[in-house]
Amino acid sequence: MSLINYSSREINCKIVYYGPGLCGKTTNLQHIYSRVPQDTRGKMISLATEMDRTLFFDFLPLELGQIRGFRTRFHLYTVPGQVYYNASRKLILKGVDGIVFVADSQIDRFEANIESLVNMHDNLSEHGLSSEKVPMVIQYNKRDLPRVVSVPDMEKELNPKGAPFYEAVALRGTGVFDTLKLACKLVLKTLG
Amino acid sequence: MVKGDWAVYEEDFWSMNAILQTLIRSANSRSVMLIDKTGQLINSIGEPPGFDVTSFSSLAAADFGANAELAKMVGEKDFATLVHQGQDDSLYLSMIANRVILVVLFDKKTSLGLVRLKAKRAGDELQVVLTKIFDKIPYRNEETAATLGADFAAEAESEIDSLFKD
Repeated sequence: MSLINYSSREINCKIVYYGPGLCGKTTNLQHIYSRVPQDTRGKMISLATEMDRTLFFDFLPLELGQIRGFRTRFHLYTVPGQVYYNASRKLILKGVDGIVFVADSQIDRFEANIESLVNMHDNLSEHGLSSEKVPMVIQYNKRDLPRVVSVPDMEKELNPKGAPFYEAVALRGTGVFDTLKLACKLVLKTLG
Repeated sequence: MVKGDWAVYEEDFWSMNAILQTLIRSANSRSVMLIDKTGQLINSIGEPPGFDVTSFSSLAAADFGANAELAKMVGEKDFATLVHQGQDDSLYLSMIANRVILVVLFDKKTSLGLVRLKAKRAGDELQVVLTKIFDKIPYRNEETAATLGADFAAEAESEIDSLFKD
């Protein structure tokens, strides 16, 4: 939920990274954290299990700087991907301004992508939101792995409405910033 | 036109600020924060906290969200207030107008009872200001078009391009 504070002259927007377990949502945030200038980013919070699986969420605040006199901030969140953490996923989606759906390109994770996407639509509608209204960018991650589904096949199943997409290898950073940049721009367009 | 889901304007900000100032003084607390329920900080007063307030805000909102779900599970509508008691410092959190979380950070110089009493009073006053804010969002959105102008998105885009690169 974008919040404009005219007194402190700040605009805050929320972007959520969604997708099945182990698809690379946290890896996206970690890459962003490691590459943006220190004065741009706040503290990264990860509520994870001892095995480094996201338990509740990861959180990374980014500051764009002054735009027309307003300090503009993006708050990036990931959801826990594992199926049984749905209550947490629903909470994180509250007030979302934009979504990055990270899909796992591996053949044996194809079904998990579909399941996660359906789950995302369900959770959005429980918040009274529809995927048509919330800007979304799809990221086809792990393109470097050997047994992956072709991009046209992924597009056909996961992106029938033609949302913009990027191919990525989040572990190496490929496609991470392209995805983020586009998501930020789409969110700001809904404000402007 | 630049518009948000909601916006805090100068005059409302100062009304809320006055309420928070009274609260921090009368409850003898260390600091007081107002946080949007999606995790964005609206205002923080009192001792500059020795922690990252942005992260704090996201965790406070998540805390409230998680507890609201727990409340539903046990058959309650919500848990309108939360208290986290530490050895030295404690937190009192309450939801105002179903939109904003009031957080009071206090230590042993005061008591939970006093904080609760004063926070309840401040909450009632904040509710009035917040209701006013929500009522006027539609027409103020029109009004602010002139302030920010159509160039906002274009300027933001070039900022995004220069900042986020590999």
